[in-house]
Amino acid sequence: MTTQTTSARPGFVWALPAAVFFALFAIVPLIMVAVLSFMSWDGISPPEFVGTDNWSRLADDPVMLNSVWLTLLLTALGVALQTPLSILLGVWAAGHQRNRAVLSVIYFIPLLLSATAVSVLWRALLDPNFGIPADATWLFGDGNLFGEQATAIGVLAFVSTWQFTPFHTLIYQGAARAVPQVLYQAAEVDGAGRYRQFFHITLPQLRTAMITSMILMIVGGLTTFETVLILTQGGPGTDTTISAYYMYDKAFKSFDYGTGSAIALALVVAATVVSLIVVRVSGYDKMRSSMEGVS
Amino acid sequence: MKKRARLPGLVATAATLALALSLSACGDGNGGASSDDGKIHVLVYGDASNKVEQQIVDTFNKTSDVKAVLDTIPGADYQTKLQTIINTPQAPDVFFNWGGGSIKPFVKADLLLPLDDFIKKDPDLEKKFLPSVFESAVVDGKPYGVPMRGTQPVLLFHNKKVLDDAGVQPPKTWDELLAAVDKLKDAGVTPIALGGGDVWPTQMWFQYLYDRIAGPELFAKAVGGDKSAWESADSKKALDMIKELVDTGAFGKNYDSVKYTNGGSVQLVASGKAGFELMGSWYYSQQLTDHKEFAEKDLGYTTFPSVEGGKGDPASVAGNTNNYYSVMKKTKHPEAVAEFLKLMYSDEFVKAQLDIGNLPTTTNTDKFIDSSGTPEYSRFQYDLVSKAPSFQLSWDQAYPQKASSDLHKAVQQFFNGQLDTDGFIKAMQALPTD
Repeated sequence: MTTQTTSARPGFVWALPAAVFFALFAIVPLIMVAVLSFMSWDGISPPEFVGTDNWSRLADDPVMLNSVWLTLLLTALGVALQTPLSILLGVWAAGHQRNRAVLSVIYFIPLLLSATAVSVLWRALLDPNFGIPADATWLFGDGNLFGEQATAIGVLAFVSTWQFTPFHTLIYQGAARAVPQVLYQAAEVDGAGRYRQFFHITLPQLRTAMITSMILMIVGGLTTFETVLILTQGGPGTDTTISAYYMYDKAFKSFDYGTGSAIALALVVAATVVSLIVVRVSGYDKMRSSMEGVS
Repeated sequence: MKKRARLPGLVATAATLALALSLSACGDGNGGASSDDGKIHVLVYGDASNKVEQQIVDTFNKTSDVKAVLDTIPGADYQTKLQTIINTPQAPDVFFNWGGGSIKPFVKADLLLPLDDFIKKDPDLEKKFLPSVFESAVVDGKPYGVPMRGTQPVLLFHNKKVLDDAGVQPPKTWDELLAAVDKLKDAGVTPIALGGGDVWPTQMWFQYLYDRIAGPELFAKAVGGDKSAWESADSKKALDMIKELVDTGAFGKNYDSVKYTNGGSVQLVASGKAGFELMGSWYYSQQLTDHKEFAEKDLGYTTFPSVEGGKGDPASVAGNTNNYYSVMKKTKHPEAVAEFLKLMYSDEFVKAQLDIGNLPTTTNTDKFIDSSGTPEYSRFQYDLVSKAPSFQLSWDQAYPQKASSDLHKAVQQFFNGQLDTDGFIKAMQALPTD
């Protein structure tokens, strides 16, 4: 009987199907992209080895440098806008107020729409002559939101916030529900008000959730693509050309797969590094218990 | 006991192997042209026009031993997909394209069949098409495409009522256009609607003005690789005139936020908020779909104005000359393909195209125009194109596909002031021409 219990335990072989698929669809393409980044290839003629040409050209390319800056800016804007909003909404939604369930369902809707649908929708809503700007000229002026860099970036940040806040709210809602009620009861006995409870109990208890949510936001921000493709196409000019869009532009519009691959690889590296940094800085890797202070 | 416990592991291994095998089998591909399934594959841009393409394929299959199969790819993905498969066993025998630069890289890579031999056997394959249109698929002196679908010249559309109210006539010259812009501004409307968010509509102003001022030679030189053309006096003059037009506020202030593709600029004209719009001939059916009443009553159209002292003939047009069928060199059934291409000048083809609003560019089109859905408009276009001394293919189609993204950027940046004249010239000189 002892043999049965040990051998019935999932062994490596159970992971094999998934591992094969992962290798086939993630590792192999990644290696191919890495190889391609040292080649010049237009998709038709045979690829040609060009050494580090693609890389050195990218390093000097003002559009590339600008795209890195724009990517970081949009990611930072996303984190800065979505985190407070989703914490407040999440904590609120974790409570037991009247109509909470109904309202939660309503604000959850944006997440159910595809990024493409969301972008098409907002592009139409923000049409300067027939959309919202036409009715609110006091706010939007001539409505040239997509014709200026600052406003175009603003729109991109706003649209992703609109779409993804519900998702992060969900994370915080779950985490807020997991906070032991005894903490609040004890605080109440000590005479702490709602705000003190929020800042001294809820917020610290949400730390792990916050890290999870921020990693997702950062990785999501670094790889944002559809919103830019549909809302601005990297324009006006190259004003909103973020790295992921620039990769698409190079590989699939300019048929320069070598440069496109180099950008893609740089993105993979950047996203990995940033995630690692967040994990390390936050102490998430040490898996400190969110229950600390309780036991 | 031990044996039983190992079973799931074996199953998992077997399943993995089976999956891996089936996946690699997918990669081999079948149904492509070169794998020779005894058929010819016709690859087309997927949209409403496929109805006619299917009809023609069906007609062909009635008499031919080698059957044709129509493969469609949704429009937005067409160019990318084509580029991906064209040098693989999945490549089609015959495929849809825009002539000019869209097939140049394929010609260079020696993938396409020059149609000289087909034409030698059947001269009608060339003679039955309008020369200015046939010309657009000639690369390095050899024909590589047979026109299919319809011609799409760019025309200057307007709202008749808006123009009347402002006391403006459709302009025949550039000066008249400038005067009209002033009067429309005074009347409180945006003189010219422009879907700058899509960028390609912006480009239309460039290609027409260059053609009027310098004639077709300047652009032909530039796209042929002689980059000094962009520095010429004519080029600078065209840029000055564009700048002047933008700066007077002819397009309003928010054109870069307006799109043609989501109906924004279309509605500007239809609702009377703008006077003119420069757009391809498909504009008419677009208005007819979006704003039927307006299209039937108040939608006017005219040619692009002439420019005084310009070298270009005012009768010349710009736009998409047509779409073309090109033939892959490695097709196993060239005879069947040649027979298939002959249908592109058949009466059946012309009638079917006219029925869905396309204007074919064959010499027999004339006979059928009067029985088409919009005879007056079709007639206007046909006369325009057949009499045009030259047909300037849209810049982004004339250049190789890989240049189009940078071309669009330069056009948009010049229009909104991010690039000055020298900056624009440099950007155009940096475009790849082969």
